[in-house]
Amino acid sequence: MVAPWWVIIVISFATCGIIGKTGKIAFWQSFFAIFLLWIGYALFKSLPNDNILASRVAVMTGVKIWWVLLFLTGLLSGLAAGISGYCGYQFRKAMLVKKTDEKIA
Amino acid sequence: MNKLKALFCVVIPIALAFLFNTKIGSTPPLLKFLNPFMGFWQNAENNHFIFNHKAKIKGAIDEIEIDFDDRMIPHIFAKNDHDLYLAQGYVTAMHRLWQMDFQTRFAAGRISEVVGEKAIEVDRYQRRMGMVYGAENSLKGMMADPKAKEMILAYTDGINAYIKTLSHANYPIEYKILDFKPENWSPVKCALLLKQMSAVLAMGSDEFYMTNIMKKFGPEVTKDLFPDYPFREDPIIPVGTKWNFSLLPIPKTPESFTKAQTGEVKTKEKIEGIGSNNWALSGTKTASGYPILANDPHLDLSLPSIWYQIQLHAPGVNTYGVSLPGAPGVIIGFNGKIAWGVTNVAADVLDFYQIKFKDESHKEYWYNNAWKATKTRLETIKIRGGKDEIDTVYYTHHGPVVYFQKPKYGRANNVPVGDALRWIAHEESNELMTFYYLNRGKNYNDYRKALTFYTAPAQNFVFASVDNDIAITPNGKFPLKWKNQGKFILDGTDPAYDWQGWIPAEQNPTVKNPPRGFVSSANQSSTDKTYPYYINWEFSPYERGKRINDRLSVMNKATADSIRLMQTDNYSIMAQNLMPALMPLINNEQLNATQKEALGYLSKWNKRYDAGEIAASVFEIWSKRLSFDIWNDEFEVEGIPMRYPSRDRTVEMILKEPNAKWFDNVKTPATETLTDLVNEAFKYSCDSLERRFGPINKDWNWANVKQTNVPHLAKIPGFGSKVLLIGGAKSTINAISESNGPSWRMVIELGKTPKGHGVYPGGQSGNPGSKFYDNMIDTWANGKLYDLFYMQSPGDKSGTIISRLKISK
Repeated sequence: MVAPWWVIIVISFATCGIIGKTGKIAFWQSFFAIFLLWIGYALFKSLPNDNILASRVAVMTGVKIWWVLLFLTGLLSGLAAGISGYCGYQFRKAMLVKKTDEKIA
Repeated sequence: MNKLKALFCVVIPIALAFLFNTKIGSTPPLLKFLNPFMGFWQNAENNHFIFNHKAKIKGAIDEIEIDFDDRMIPHIFAKNDHDLYLAQGYVTAMHRLWQMDFQTRFAAGRISEVVGEKAIEVDRYQRRMGMVYGAENSLKGMMADPKAKEMILAYTDGINAYIKTLSHANYPIEYKILDFKPENWSPVKCALLLKQMSAVLAMGSDEFYMTNIMKKFGPEVTKDLFPDYPFREDPIIPVGTKWNFSLLPIPKTPESFTKAQTGEVKTKEKIEGIGSNNWALSGTKTASGYPILANDPHLDLSLPSIWYQIQLHAPGVNTYGVSLPGAPGVIIGFNGKIAWGVTNVAADVLDFYQIKFKDESHKEYWYNNAWKATKTRLETIKIRGGKDEIDTVYYTHHGPVVYFQKPKYGRANNVPVGDALRWIAHEESNELMTFYYLNRGKNYNDYRKALTFYTAPAQNFVFASVDNDIAITPNGKFPLKWKNQGKFILDGTDPAYDWQGWIPAEQNPTVKNPPRGFVSSANQSSTDKTYPYYINWEFSPYERGKRINDRLSVMNKATADSIRLMQTDNYSIMAQNLMPALMPLINNEQLNATQKEALGYLSKWNKRYDAGEIAASVFEIWSKRLSFDIWNDEFEVEGIPMRYPSRDRTVEMILKEPNAKWFDNVKTPATETLTDLVNEAFKYSCDSLERRFGPINKDWNWANVKQTNVPHLAKIPGFGSKVLLIGGAKSTINAISESNGPSWRMVIELGKTPKGHGVYPGGQSGNPGSKFYDNMIDTWANGKLYDLFYMQSPGDKSGTIISRLKISK
């Protein structure tokens, strides 16, 4: 049973929340992890299909060319993951500062 | 401060998740759709490896083997009828689940559930025309028959067994685009599918327009311009065929009563589209000495195709042909001994009755000198993203009152407000048994027996058997009417206007082994004027039928190829009839250079609508514009929906009444003549082509003007075919228009073993991500046919099998 797509949001958020080193790393590592994963798997399905479905869906969505659609897949999912990762990191930072504030107080 | 920041950091990812998971307008939920693990990428089928499969279905009685040939056509080998239809349901769902779901949802008026408020008028129309009401009645008829019941339940179980195997990742792509889930199939959906065919083929009715015309022009003009028989005809049952039955008493015509209704609708010229060709040659005219049968039903072309090829093999039956996804059996096809096909009769089986209600509550209406109660039926329409809408429909004994207020919806144009609808599709029926018996038929008597089960939509059933019998029967359940009962709106208060009974099935017009050696139909008049009963006052134009008969009369030693070439005959009898009358009227001096050049092409034209013909483009627009010039000034009146006289009447007027008053444009002070109109229309044709394509060049070719293409069933861009540069036109045998035409072409040579040939413009798979989605289009466009692989057993090696599916319980 495959997990729904938004698990990338949860995992990026949680991972960067726990081990994220900087905001930039949190964003870009999440981004590229998902960008490459989704594009890779999409290609795995599309190449044996000679990209005929991807070409049709590209026309349907208006981007016209199948690998633009592929790129969009990676871009949008990467962005969602990257932003979530960044938010996860920032969330932990915000929680830590709060704790420090409380400790001092 | 930090609390706020922390909150944002949680809210933003959640918002992203929602944003990309929600359908916005018609855009699918973006990341849900683009996700390669569950989204559309999963529908990309592997083109290079195809595997064998096994499936377990609890309801299966025995083992079933399904062999798929190299065009993905399933050949089902079952050990009993139940398993046969179970398997048919399963494989049809495998390839066409979304199509079956969508077509039955459309029929049931449930599109708003999927796409929201914007489809509400579409759904309301279906409900108020009584589609679901008719399907429920029809189902009662089918379930009362034990065989039909077994077929439907097994077919339903097969579909549902397939649906059970689906997870979100392998839903057909349209579900992902429109963001909804497949739902289980139920027996009423089979009935809905059949009712939808009735709606496509037998929902024609012009009585609203005719009544308005009668009111405006009076009975004399109406009879003159809308005669009850065309001036040129070549009827389906050959002239001179005797009727050997004893006539039922025909109901008396009551005193005419008409009262027009008005609305804000534009008059549209009747567009030809729904029609088909079929014919059969007896062995006396074929090279083999055995009959050859051909059929090409004309429907709106779509991907996936409306048809699904299949072979059904079980004890007592081995039949091959096309099926309708959503109904069990083979609809058009052949078996070892017989072949059959259908074209639309277009009988007058839909009538509107003017109702006199007691008051605004619509609870009672006047009938037979008393107030009668209406019944109410509540139609609940679920709307995605909105509240359920509950529509109250009042039913009289005739049928539902469709509209009290005209909606803004094209299909509702010909529906008069406040009138009740009597429609054959509302009756109990059992059409499935017709196909059950045809599938297993061995001879002419079996054919005749099968026809008795058929109600609607009435079809001209053509037949041929290896015993060298050929026959054709315009067949359906026809109401016993007085002449022209239904040409105009009927009086709903007077019992004399009700349907008085039925024509007995054995008295439907029919002919067997006529002296001329062939039978044919192309939706023209069923008979000559001697047939005693009223079927309709108008049928399709005679040109296709005439051309078919002209060619068949002189054909001898015919082969499958002779017939294949005939199916793609582009010669137009309409051009043959009109050109000699129109060309002399052109005033050469008043033409500009382009128009003179176009005239040159026309004078050399061979009357064929071939792909490369410039003359065909000019003529087509010219003749349509001429019809507009003649009729529009009188028949297009704000607030009074009407229709033009038929093409046959127009041609008759041009040929025999060149001084008729109708040629004058009453909207201008001058008096126009036919010559004026012919010239205006000709110049209009050239000018409009020049506006579109520049001075005469190859873009003026007929194929380029026609722009034939096969769109997706739900018109999803990118999912249709490319433009097909091919010939054909509605007035020719090869009746192709922009996206309507031969949805299946079939030629069957009977003999010791039958040889079948066929093609449709599409593919067996409904998945745009499959190489079998549109792989047959090119063959169809080139006018060729595939040899059909008619297997005799599971191990039959005479064709190519690329995969097997074994079903066990």
